[in-house]
Amino acid sequence: MEPGAMPQETPASDRPEAGALITDPHVAGDQDGPIVIANEFADVIVSRVRTRNGMRLDIWSPRRGTRVQLDAVELDCLSYQEPETFTAMLERTPGA
Amino acid sequence: MSAADNSQGITPMLAEIREGIAQGRVPARIFNDQEIFDLERRKLFGKAWCFLAHESEIPRPGDYVTRSIADNSIIVARDEHGNICAHLNMCRHRGNMMCKSEMGNASHFRCSYHGWVYKNSGELVGVPYFKEGYDTRLDRKQWGLVEVRTESYAGLVFGTLDPQAPSLDEYLGGFQFYLDIYLKQGLGGSEVHGPPDHWVAETDWKICAENFSGDGYHTPVAHQFGFHLGYFPSSGATHSEGWAVHIPGKGHSIGLGHTPGMPPFFGYPDDLVEQMHESLSPQQLEVFSKTRTAVGSVFPNLSFLIQPFSLVPGEPGVRFCTMRLWHPLGPGRMEMWSWCLVPKGASDEYKEEAYKAYTLAFGQAGTFEQDDFENWTKVTRAAGGSLAQGLEFPYVMGLDRPPLEDWPGPGHAVSPYVTDTNFRNLWGTWADYLARED
Ligand code: FES
Ligand SMILES: [Fe+2]
Repeated sequence: MEPGAMPQETPASDRPEAGALITDPHVAGDQDGPIVIANEFADVIVSRVRTRNGMRLDIWSPRRGTRVQLDAVELDCLSYQEPETFTAMLERTPGA
Repeated sequence: MSAADNSQGITPMLAEIREGIAQGRVPARIFNDQEIFDLERRKLFGKAWCFLAHESEIPRPGDYVTRSIADNSIIVARDEHGNICAHLNMCRHRGNMMCKSEMGNASHFRCSYHGWVYKNSGELVGVPYFKEGYDTRLDRKQWGLVEVRTESYAGLVFGTLDPQAPSLDEYLGGFQFYLDIYLKQGLGGSEVHGPPDHWVAETDWKICAENFSGDGYHTPVAHQFGFHLGYFPSSGATHSEGWAVHIPGKGHSIGLGHTPGMPPFFGYPDDLVEQMHESLSPQQLEVFSKTRTAVGSVFPNLSFLIQPFSLVPGEPGVRFCTMRLWHPLGPGRMEMWSWCLVPKGASDEYKEEAYKAYTLAFGQAGTFEQDDFENWTKVTRAAGGSLAQGLEFPYVMGLDRPPLEDWPGPGHAVSPYVTDTNFRNLWGTWADYLARED
């Protein structure tokens, strides 16, 4: 189906593509933060963003230019990982 | 040839220097000498247990501080499982400094040069372009950060570069009894109050280490304003009273100044004194309750001081505790590190008061600190002068005095407080290290 063909209130030009990040959390809805989490090796900016129907946590790494937005299930899943899980992630992609 | 003859290098003279120390003579030049500094770096700081950090400086997983042993930068971290570990602060790839901040929190350290990533417990985990670049040639297990051996006593984390070194317990050799006055202030023990102050001083570390091994002798003169203005509860008339104790052959010592008529544990809040009746042994209580000033050092360069100090002249003193590290940078040059230790179980009000008293007396601009460094810098400069190369200082105070027989604590104890007894043991131990075969 052509984007824009769906009947909804948001004008087609403002509508995100499927899977796309919410590009501006300040416009996207009310939030706490942003909170900066930084040490001498990295800095990230964390904020709560509201989608049309719910909430995500936006993690933005300005130095790297990458961003991810995690929902409650993903965050819940993070909450019970062992430290080794993150070590393994850094093993695969240390971030050159 | 005199022990201080300057016609040749100092190494062949070490035996003679040791003999001189036992008889109460110490060469002036040891306090500002390149050759002595080089020997110390290798034979003393390369072998001894050296202070790294207080556990309360890294309370949570990922917390780390960077410290030094001799000219090596060391990362002291609490890993993700809560264990304390220490590693050389040097990336194994091409040697870049891993942690440039002096404190922080990180689960992994990432090198700023080529991006190698290590766990905070030292294992190498991430290597950029690992498959593309290294094929199978690099075994990551072989290239973790270099571990430094650590052991702790009552919150103090020490490290040694010598894998053969005896245990920390054996190294301290009974000095723990006296360290407890600083480290077991109440049931929760002691903790640091904020990060340390540190700065570079044109002073030889040994002058400070000697002073904090119990130099009660300088106090009424160097710090006379402290006495006269009513900041410090001692008087010139009785200031020599008290005890000096050292652990023979280990180099650790403490001076215990006593003011006649001063109530036991004067300057501590009552509830803390009550707690100390549980945290300290009866023998420790007997010694410490009579102590106004406790000024002591763990060989070679970690020192402590407890004394009451008035926030407003003439008002009753507040007891504060400072811990300091005299870190050598070169002959006659050092980095001064100074912490305020407070009783963990005390009220916030008392902790603040104690911190104020510490800052007034021993922060970088503290009155006592200024008095001391003014003198120590001048001593250092003089010791480096050409004429001073052949001179010795007298260390004969208390030379014939026998140890006290009924002293309740370990070590060699003498009275009064004012004596060179501790210093002869300090310099004797120091010379033993320097003379030892590798
Ligand atoms: S020096 Fe650290 S990655 Fe190259
Ligand atoms: Fe002093």
